Amino acid sequence: MSSHYEAPVRKPLVLGDKSYGDISNDIARPVETPPNTDWWIAFSIAMVAFLWGLGCMAYTIGTGIGTWGLNKTVGWAWDITNFVWWVGIGHAGTLISAVLLLFRQKWRMGINRSAEAMTIFSVIQAGLFPIIHMGRPWLAYWLFPIPNQFGSLWVNFNSPLLWDVFAISTYLTVSLVFWWTGLLPDFAMIRDRAVEPWRKKIYSLLSFGWSGRAKDWQRFEEVSLVLAGLATPLVLSVHTIVSFDFATSVIPGWHTTIFPPYFVAGAIFSGFAMVQTLLIIMRKVSRLESYITIQHIEMMNIVIMITGSIVGCAYITELFIAWYSGVEYEQYAFLNRATGPYWWAYFLMMSCNVVSPQIMWVKKIRTNIIVSFVISIVVNVGMWFERFVIIVTSLHRDYLPSSWTMFSPTFIDIGIFIGTIGFFFVLFLLYARSFPVVAQAEIKSILKSSGENYKKLRDK
Amino acid sequence: MMSDLDLVLYTKTGLGDGQQSSNPWLQEFPDPITRVTWDNYLTVSYEDAERLGLENYNVSNGALNGSYVNLSNDNSTIKVPVIIQPGQTPGTVGLSLGYGKTQAMSEEMNVGVNAYRFYDDFKRVHKVTLTKVKGDHEFACIQLHNTMMGRDEIIKETSYEEFIEEDKSVWNPTVMVSKNHIETKVTSKEVDIWREFDRSTGHHFNLSIDLNKCNGCGACVIACHAENNVPVVGKEEVRKSRDMHWIRIDRYYSSQDTIRGDVEAKDEASGFREYRATQTKLEKASANPQVVFQPISCMHCNHAPCETVCPVAATSHGREGQNQMAYNRCVGTRYCANNCPYKVRRFNWFQYSDNDEFDYNMNNDLGKMAINPDVNVRSRGVMEKCSLCIQMTQKVKLDAKKEGRRVRDGEFKTACSESCDDNAMVFGDINDRDSEILKVKDGDRTYRVLESIGTKPNVIYQVKIRNSKKI
Amino acid sequence: MSLKRLHVLFDDDDILLDAVKEIVKSKIYIHEVYTPFPVHGLDKAMKLKPTKISITTFIYGCIGFTVSILMMNYIMIVDWPQDIGGKPSFSYIENMPAFVPIMFELTVFFAAHLMVITFYLRSKLWPFKEAENPDPSTTDDKFLIDMDSGSNLSKTKSMLKKMGAISIKEVKE
Repeated sequence: MSSHYEAPVRKPLVLGDKSYGDISNDIARPVETPPNTDWWIAFSIAMVAFLWGLGCMAYTIGTGIGTWGLNKTVGWAWDITNFVWWVGIGHAGTLISAVLLLFRQKWRMGINRSAEAMTIFSVIQAGLFPIIHMGRPWLAYWLFPIPNQFGSLWVNFNSPLLWDVFAISTYLTVSLVFWWTGLLPDFAMIRDRAVEPWRKKIYSLLSFGWSGRAKDWQRFEEVSLVLAGLATPLVLSVHTIVSFDFATSVIPGWHTTIFPPYFVAGAIFSGFAMVQTLLIIMRKVSRLESYITIQHIEMMNIVIMITGSIVGCAYITELFIAWYSGVEYEQYAFLNRATGPYWWAYFLMMSCNVVSPQIMWVKKIRTNIIVSFVISIVVNVGMWFERFVIIVTSLHRDYLPSSWTMFSPTFIDIGIFIGTIGFFFVLFLLYARSFPVVAQAEIKSILKSSGENYKKLRDK
Repeated sequence: MMSDLDLVLYTKTGLGDGQQSSNPWLQEFPDPITRVTWDNYLTVSYEDAERLGLENYNVSNGALNGSYVNLSNDNSTIKVPVIIQPGQTPGTVGLSLGYGKTQAMSEEMNVGVNAYRFYDDFKRVHKVTLTKVKGDHEFACIQLHNTMMGRDEIIKETSYEEFIEEDKSVWNPTVMVSKNHIETKVTSKEVDIWREFDRSTGHHFNLSIDLNKCNGCGACVIACHAENNVPVVGKEEVRKSRDMHWIRIDRYYSSQDTIRGDVEAKDEASGFREYRATQTKLEKASANPQVVFQPISCMHCNHAPCETVCPVAATSHGREGQNQMAYNRCVGTRYCANNCPYKVRRFNWFQYSDNDEFDYNMNNDLGKMAINPDVNVRSRGVMEKCSLCIQMTQKVKLDAKKEGRRVRDGEFKTACSESCDDNAMVFGDINDRDSEILKVKDGDRTYRVLESIGTKPNVIYQVKIRNSKKI
Repeated sequence: MSLKRLHVLFDDDDILLDAVKEIVKSKIYIHEVYTPFPVHGLDKAMKLKPTKISITTFIYGCIGFTVSILMMNYIMIVDWPQDIGGKPSFSYIENMPAFVPIMFELTVFFAAHLMVITFYLRSKLWPFKEAENPDPSTTDDKFLIDMDSGSNLSKTKSMLKKMGAISIKEVKE
């Protein structure tokens, strides 16, 4: 039993008296049983929001970007704020799956499946915005270097927006295959215990015929490790490239070298908060508290606290550099952020992102479910405002005071955002009842080392 | 209520006496002083406005609203909106003629109040009474902010005395940037991080705008509209800061007594508290300000920030120095407009032609006869901006080719340079050793706006010289 | 003395591992082992060759890197170089800093996707592929060894029972 040894000081990652078979049953149950009323209520609300957003998007595409609140000076506002917000949220899933795998953190196993699902669904939301924010979205395919009859007329590889196209495409597809590959053994579990023929057919299809041979597992482990190794620089590079949308411009408040680490830390910060929001609810509803334990919640809170502190450091650095640089436009940009017409957004950003995670230094607070849930919402609100502040306050007052304007959202701006939230939850709610939401094969592999019953036996 | 005020009737540069008030270009032409379009209004001084409780304020999307007053003399009373005008003498108010025509005007063109009712005995000045009334008027003002905030890289000016007596390095110093903590000229090769394109063969176009000669009349704005099929978007859109003018004439008031005073106040502020207080103070125009105009259109930067960021390469740089905008390639991401430090790019937020919502000159056959067939009409979702009238340039070259001769100096024109009565705008080929533009460009008064960013514009300005001993 | 094919079920991974080691020591051929999760040390015990998939991934990454450079060189420098913001489209190396993000992303893209495709093809995983595990409980909580019986069937059976097998089935080839 020596290979399953784990130090007693480590808290158990699987609670209760579970066997391998129990794990299969617990994870299969939400898939095999029909959803309860709460699920239907949540799904209906999400669906209505999604359809409303879809309508707003159709109106925008049919009538024009003029239906939004943008103007000649503020060319981006809610559209790109939402884009960066959703992409940032997605990064936590990849970090949990990939980076924590490289660091051999076993606590990732209870949460990585759902975190990766969250990543896929949020990157889908993010991907909507580059398309619908275009003046002529039906020509979106022009952003790809496809040979054509115009000469060929090619794309411009100098443009950060084009880097985004490649980065987000790579990120979405690699996250998808990473997630799907991990799902194959879990789909196989559901397939093999399926009684209804339709369930057997569907999960046979989804599992790609996974049979669990030793050679397959050998390759699976290697592929997971390599994908983790590839996905880790993706987490860093993709949000860095998104930050380049701003950092490589000339606008004061945008043109700053701190954006890459600032954005990446912020992405992990907001992503973990969203994972918390989803999992705190899901663990209760799907009765998975034995697999998503208080320990898991606490670890995620610690990550939130650390990345929140990094983000806070970055805010302070920006202020310092604005002063130290002596560049009058940069100095004004920050004076305007803190004291200008959008000071309230800056204040929200500061209090939600810098102040609120600091309370997690107290153990009692970071192991409290209700507080964790509230903080996770607060953090995501704060991070939305961070992107709003960066985009709108920098644009609305830049170099020439004659072009200073204000920005105010229309109900279409707001409707589209709410629509993406609805779409996200529609996808996640469907996922929660049809996919195995915990990586059960991985959990089984750590049951003997980190299961509560096994640890008790060892530590007697 | 205030009585015994002097009403001064005047005519606006754009609309004149109102014979052409059904012309949408003229209605959308911003007043050179107030920058308001589609309206006339009573100009009231700070002092009088405060006494009567009149307000101009911006709503959440930046649009300007203003109070109403009842303007009355013995015979008539009209309700008119108020613009609080820096520099208006207390005790006087101004109202422009030419507006308020209702006969044979479509609904959109029915704007303003008819001031002719006050034009008794063909006299322009009358005694009137003002009473504040309830309600607020929605203005379409294209400039939300009125001062230059003490920034000295935008408009350079000097006094006549300084110009005559001091060296260029005093009143028009070469812009320096810090490279490795050493102050280096922004024009030096050291500051460039890459190899330049060679523009010494063929044409290389520059446009010079002389701030001394420009009186802000705005003929260039209308000429550009006419030549380039720039759409009229109407009052609602202008309120949302979506005007389409390719060239605009910015107007700045000083906050201190003089513009230079603003720059000095900004430079002297020390410490955060003073800095904040000074910046806040600089936002408000003085009650008796110094005023300056600056026509701004696309600067055709050799290192254009807009070109780099277009994902589909819809905007690139021509061999001859113009920034080219390929309308049919543009997919409308608007990054180029965001990245332009001069904010000269204009986006087609809606379909502005053949659209009943915008029933001006591009929605009916008669109006369309004013369209220039040499220039595209842009569709919804496409970015547009000044092209240095590339169609006019091409015609000049083709004509010369057909006639088998070189292009002569003075033949190259843009709509704006051609329309300028004062010859404030000079356009031409700086590779032509005999050209006027080359002499102008190499002159001492030449500078470029925001030169320290390193955009290397092809549109240059001449330092304004105020005809006074000191400024 | 006929060679039979056995399907042996276990319900514990450590017991399975010891059994496999014993079977290999007895020089009996193991066709396949089916487990619900990866058992550490099983591939070594079965004397499976280490997988070369990471080497192929490195090669795919190099291919991606090369493709990105060739693509951007052709598009931006050779076929239609433009003056975009004054950026030096005279040679790849002068404009190269702008191309780095895509060089990186395409390297990762090619490496990841070609690796996963290789994995799926080699392990025979694709939509509509039928599963091949003989006992459906091997994706739940049981472990199955598909092995030859060796020359002495009963000796093999008793060894397996001693090692902890919970069921032994003789199957047709």
